[in-house]
Amino acid sequence: MADKKVRVLLGTRKGAYIAESDTKRKTWKVGKVSNSGREVYHVTADPRHPGYLYAAVNDWMFGPMVHISKDWGKTWKEAATPLMPPSKERNPEFGTDSGEVQRPKHALTNLWHLEPGHASEPDTLFLGADPHMLFRSDDLGASWTPVPSINEHSTKKDWAPGAGGPCMHTILVDPTNAQRMYVGLSAAGTFRSDDGGKSWKAVNKGVETPFLPNKYPEVGQCVHHVVLDPAEPRTSYRQDHGGMYVSHDGMESWTRIGKFFDDDFGFAVAAARALPGRAFFIPLEGRSRVTTQGGLQVFEWNDPKKKWRALMSAKAIPGHFGVHREGMNTDTLDPAGIYVGTTTGQLILSPDAGKTWRQVPYQFPSIHSVHVASPAL
Amino acid sequence: MIEVHLDAWIREFGPKGDELVEAASVAQMLDELERRYPRLRYRLRDETGQLRRYVRVFVDGEDVSRGGRTDASLSGARTVDILHSIAGG
Repeated sequence: MADKKVRVLLGTRKGAYIAESDTKRKTWKVGKVSNSGREVYHVTADPRHPGYLYAAVNDWMFGPMVHISKDWGKTWKEAATPLMPPSKERNPEFGTDSGEVQRPKHALTNLWHLEPGHASEPDTLFLGADPHMLFRSDDLGASWTPVPSINEHSTKKDWAPGAGGPCMHTILVDPTNAQRMYVGLSAAGTFRSDDGGKSWKAVNKGVETPFLPNKYPEVGQCVHHVVLDPAEPRTSYRQDHGGMYVSHDGMESWTRIGKFFDDDFGFAVAAARALPGRAFFIPLEGRSRVTTQGGLQVFEWNDPKKKWRALMSAKAIPGHFGVHREGMNTDTLDPAGIYVGTTTGQLILSPDAGKTWRQVPYQFPSIHSVHVASPAL
Repeated sequence: MIEVHLDAWIREFGPKGDELVEAASVAQMLDELERRYPRLRYRLRDETGQLRRYVRVFVDGEDVSRGGRTDASLSGARTVDILHSIAGG
């Protein structure tokens, strides 16, 4: 099913959308909405199975669901429902319901992120959820198993919810090492596993927590989003509540790079295959969580040169809006395409690594996530 | 037998219309509906057994679902309505 289309998958407050173009990325066609009316926090594509898409759907009436498409979004089917594991402590409110089935005390609330596993594990998926839960599936969503090694981590007593709830929102699988993966939780920080998820180490050294009395704790950081450098996955770029950071040692330690800005708050960060050593950040006002300087700004961090560069003027797309943590993504083409989805429903993109910018002529609902499914060239 | 009127939105998960159910409690009625339509499982109740926040159950016109409870008796009941509450935006 491989083809030459560039597909931008959008999770929005009112459903999922796919915008399609060719490799020139000049004209765009927006397909019909799926899961209309439902909050879709994340939609992603599976490079191991061309045409397979996964959506984290949160229905205000019917609860969280995983939806899977095997035909580039033409049709969708509900996968197995991930569930909180039973707890030893029963909820006394529901002691009279049917049977004596052991139930969890609390339910899952929202599903945040779906991540395909390593290429060597073609049927593995990971799912991050609220409250602070990682699930694993080894049958492409036909069943989900909680991962207690992180869900019940020894540091959990020091985790707290962020404004979006206690969410597991970032899951990264090292493409060069199937045993190494990372997760990001708000407000707990980042954790790394070197044994395929059997054990986890908190990796937040150097990341400030301006909202806690202890400014550099082991955990408790409100990480917003992290990406790996596609060319060197030991390097990662982090947008945290406490600023913009880079790590060169598998997240073992972090260096703040955002002091260049008056306020290095933001949510989104991205890196592109065609631009090794570069990362893209969107600074927002820390208090209001919307654009600074009167409009959208995308900045490029050149890691080898340790320099920042504005990729657009704030006057180019004026407005007072936000960009969520998964609101920016890149394609794998050269020159790299950079895609930004806003909380006010615009999809803004650069097909040439930030030289020029354009807007897809379609007004979407508030955009939660942007993921680009690039063609295999 | 109790006549169960299902909100049209619920039909996405299998039921075609109203159902006739024999049950002693709301929980038992939901068990039976989920047995007939497995895709309904976890859609009206979450995994704790609690009704989801915006699901309302009325027995002969009376709301018995406050607080998400499902232990209301259906003894002598003639109709149950399962509806979504007014919410959203």
